[in-house]
Amino acid sequence: MSNNEQYQGNLQYAVDIVLCIDATGSMYPVLDNVKSSALQFHDRLNDVMAKKGKAISQLRLKVIAFRDFGDDPSNAIEQTGFLRLPSQSGDFEDFVRGIDAGGGGDYPESGLEALALAINSPWETGLDRRRHVIVMFTDAPAHPLGTHSSVPSYPAAIPSSLDDLFEQWGYARSQTAVMEQSAKRLVLFAPDQAPWSDPIAEEWDLTLHFASKAGQGLEEFEMDEIIETIANSL
Amino acid sequence: MKKGDVIGGYRLISEPTNANGGKCMWAFAEKDGDQYFIKRFLEPKRPRDDAADSPSVRIRRQLSQEFEDRHRTIMKRLRPDARGGGNLVLATDFFHQGSTYYKVTERIDTSSLEKPQALEPRHKMVLLKTLGNSLKQLHDIEIVHGDLKPLNVLVQKRDGAAFHTAKLIDFDDSYVSGSPPEPDDIAGDSVYGAPEWRRYMQRDGSAGPEHLTCAVDVFALGLMTHVYLTGELPHHDKRYGSPADAVNAGEHLDLDTRLSDEMLGLLRSMTARAPGGRPRMDGFLKALSDPKVCALQHRRPSTAKPKSPSAKPASAKPGSAKPGSAPDTAKPSGPRTSRIKTNLASTPRPRTATPPPEPTRPAAGEAKPAAKPAAPPTAPAPSAPDTAAERPSRVRINLGDRRPRPGSS
Repeated sequence: MSNNEQYQGNLQYAVDIVLCIDATGSMYPVLDNVKSSALQFHDRLNDVMAKKGKAISQLRLKVIAFRDFGDDPSNAIEQTGFLRLPSQSGDFEDFVRGIDAGGGGDYPESGLEALALAINSPWETGLDRRRHVIVMFTDAPAHPLGTHSSVPSYPAAIPSSLDDLFEQWGYARSQTAVMEQSAKRLVLFAPDQAPWSDPIAEEWDLTLHFASKAGQGLEEFEMDEIIETIANSL
Repeated sequence: MKKGDVIGGYRLISEPTNANGGKCMWAFAEKDGDQYFIKRFLEPKRPRDDAADSPSVRIRRQLSQEFEDRHRTIMKRLRPDARGGGNLVLATDFFHQGSTYYKVTERIDTSSLEKPQALEPRHKMVLLKTLGNSLKQLHDIEIVHGDLKPLNVLVQKRDGAAFHTAKLIDFDDSYVSGSPPEPDDIAGDSVYGAPEWRRYMQRDGSAGPEHLTCAVDVFALGLMTHVYLTGELPHHDKRYGSPADAVNAGEHLDLDTRLSDEMLGLLRSMTARAPGGRPRMDGFLKALSDPKVCALQHRRPSTAKPKSPSAKPASAKPGSAKPGSAPDTAKPSGPRTSRIKTNLASTPRPRTATPPPEPTRPAAGEAKPAAKPAAPPTAPAPSAPDTAAERPSRVRINLGDRRPRPGSS
């Protein structure tokens, strides 16, 4: 049934998802798995929602592929805008399929810059109820924010510290948050290392951390955790 | 949080998951030879004790205090020794470790019932009565469960027991009747939500906080009763996203006409659009006085009612229900990975007549005074040895004596 045929008084749910994908060389063994899961995400989400008797009125996905500003600033961040699915699924697929694992230099990567960009995304503010979900896939720790801020291509308006980024993430009654408290979720598929396990998973609210083994990729990655995060909160 | 970790003295014996939980992670745990269910809250986060003072830290400390107070208040009001209280799965422990809050309940084995709808009428009646009594205990102290749905009801049959019982879980989104959280924050399920709950979230001006009362649970219980008796939710036109959307639009839900006339009347009133038109729990329990009320019967197809003019044929898109079959909403849950193993799926039923709705019933029974608070809580000391996985900052929040009672059912 199309949206036009639906009763206009139905409760309308909007779901925005930002996928932050580590595209450095160490991710090579698992990047295909992450990409494949991302491409199946829409169908799997719809399937789960249908089984629960639920439906999403509007689904948008945005992808941020990140590497390391300290290694090669020219490809440290590649991203899409929010793409509406299913109507823009072609653009989404083209971008995801084009992500190649490579580079990265030293062990930590620019994951916090990707997270900062995700937090400051142009989230949906309409419809009746919203879910804004950031998903981080990485097998490495992150450089402290600002480490490479002198690089010309470094994104503007990135907070200079993790404390400042935390204030942007926010909490109930926060005056500095840029995300809607009741809508936001952060799902980390990241190693049990700083900054992911502590302080982010430990101190940031509405954050789920599924630890991957540092340096060994994300073999244990499951898309189900993301889908559950969305489907059970609507 | 991972399998093998020891949190607050509880050793996790299953891999933590967020399956069927939107704002928590959970796992099974063991302590002193007993098994538990442990839930990790995703919010709020408690600032570390040594966090430097700042406006941000002050706000977060206040949020944490309010969170602890709310849980204390509700748990003090819920008495495990009250009539029906044995089927409320109450917290046995509530604490924070580091910045994160945890709640612990006894582990309930729910593996003994696959299809409640296949039970004999008398067994269905007992099942519904245990659920109704649990809900009545909440409503008697003006507490709205707020997220009543099959996933929050564990169906259990203990060894040697004659009947299955329904155990009500997850009061973490409960609120005082008429004082719900803000529309953006209120919990609830889009399938089992009441009409006024949906209008409250839509901020259309027709439903304010004062309209969100115990009747919200009664609407959900009406849908669940239909599921338990027939295996399916009531049907509605596919233009509507949920039963509540259909009711808000002025449509009647298409109840299974195999239900007895008494049950059809009861469910009609429980799913009424106006909260005041729904019975209170006394009325629900009184209606379940005879097993015949819970029996299914076959009616003559010639009594079928013409289809509503507003009804449109279902589209034939992949994944949508075939015309005449149960819509997706009739499948209350997908494959389950949680501790709840009840399978309520069934084959679609023939759609025949829908008897005219009975007049809505007046509210039956009045709320009793709030239950006497539990005895002053005592502080259970952690008994399991600390491990490297534990953090030094761990404080238990007293809930009184919430230990599982031997032989509770």
